Amino acid sequence: MKADPPGTVAAHEQDMLQQPPLPVKMVIAGGFGVGKTTTVASISEIEPLTTEASITTVAAGVDDLSHTPEKTTTTVAMDFGCITIDPTLKLYLFGTPGQERFGFMWDDIVEGALGGLVIVDTRRLDDCYAAVDYFENRDIPFAVALNAFDGKVDYELDQVRWALDVSDHVPVTVFDARERGSVRDTLLVVLELALERVERAQARTGTRY
Amino acid sequence: MTGEAPVEGGGELPDESGRERPSPIRPFLLTAGRVAGTAAPGSGPPIPIETQVVATSGGLAVLDSFASEHRDIIAACRRPQSLAELAAKLRLHLNVVRVIADDLRAQGRLRVYVPRANAAQDASVLRRVIDGLRTVPDSRGFLREG
Repeated sequence: MKADPPGTVAAHEQDMLQQPPLPVKMVIAGGFGVGKTTTVASISEIEPLTTEASITTVAAGVDDLSHTPEKTTTTVAMDFGCITIDPTLKLYLFGTPGQERFGFMWDDIVEGALGGLVIVDTRRLDDCYAAVDYFENRDIPFAVALNAFDGKVDYELDQVRWALDVSDHVPVTVFDARERGSVRDTLLVVLELALERVERAQARTGTRY
Repeated sequence: MTGEAPVEGGGELPDESGRERPSPIRPFLLTAGRVAGTAAPGSGPPIPIETQVVATSGGLAVLDSFASEHRDIIAACRRPQSLAELAAKLRLHLNVVRVIADDLRAQGRLRVYVPRANAAQDASVLRRVIDGLRTVPDSRGFLREG
């Protein structure tokens, strides 16, 4: 928690002082009750905040005659937190609302994200298919993380990979949503994947930064 | 890895249901029904939720001339805030904050710093986030919620 700004700062100075950081974000996805808020809370420097946002849900395969998915805008609660990397860079973590029986479009939340994390409860693998599909279709770097509170999960990672049918390049890992170090390392898996991709793309095009 | 012990679930706030509605006021009453700000009516993608917003000294100087939500937003932006933080702290729908912030920007009361679109493709940004995150210490696991 940060203190309020000192009241002594003159208004004209304030405009100079309040240069905001570059905000970047990652998206924490997964089914209901899988540990998204816990994950955000473990590493966020603020207590997770909740805001209402609009997402578009797509009723999937209900009306086979029209083949036109019915799109509905829904207001959902979304939890998020943040980590100040340095005064010029701030990482936000947005927990996407779970929408189990619907396709959904989180573009409004996800647009520009560095990467995503799909949290999985191995007893309810079904709940995370939508999130896996979403990140794969949008070509957003992501990892699948099995939340194991006691360090154990019910299946081998390979079994989970097979069951979820994720591509070979998608990391599948086990973590503990309550452990800050575990959350940190899992986010790093995603970021390193994202960096590898960018570097590979740059090598192809000859771009240098 | 094939542990016999079942994974303990829960430990998370209900994040998709059972929330109080943040405001008794129908959200878009505050924006006179508009879902886009004055600047770009219905064109282009909405500004990102992590966009930073800061009050201008001019905005703070005329704080009392504004009605409640507008005043609250300017006052909350004495320090840089993301749109998401503003919405959460003021209990307003994110899109309502988008609209009002854009209006206030057009009036010179707020500065809105839309992040550059390609940060996710910028290796130097990714490296800085990675290096910064690596310095985050471990913690003993503790439950924040039961």
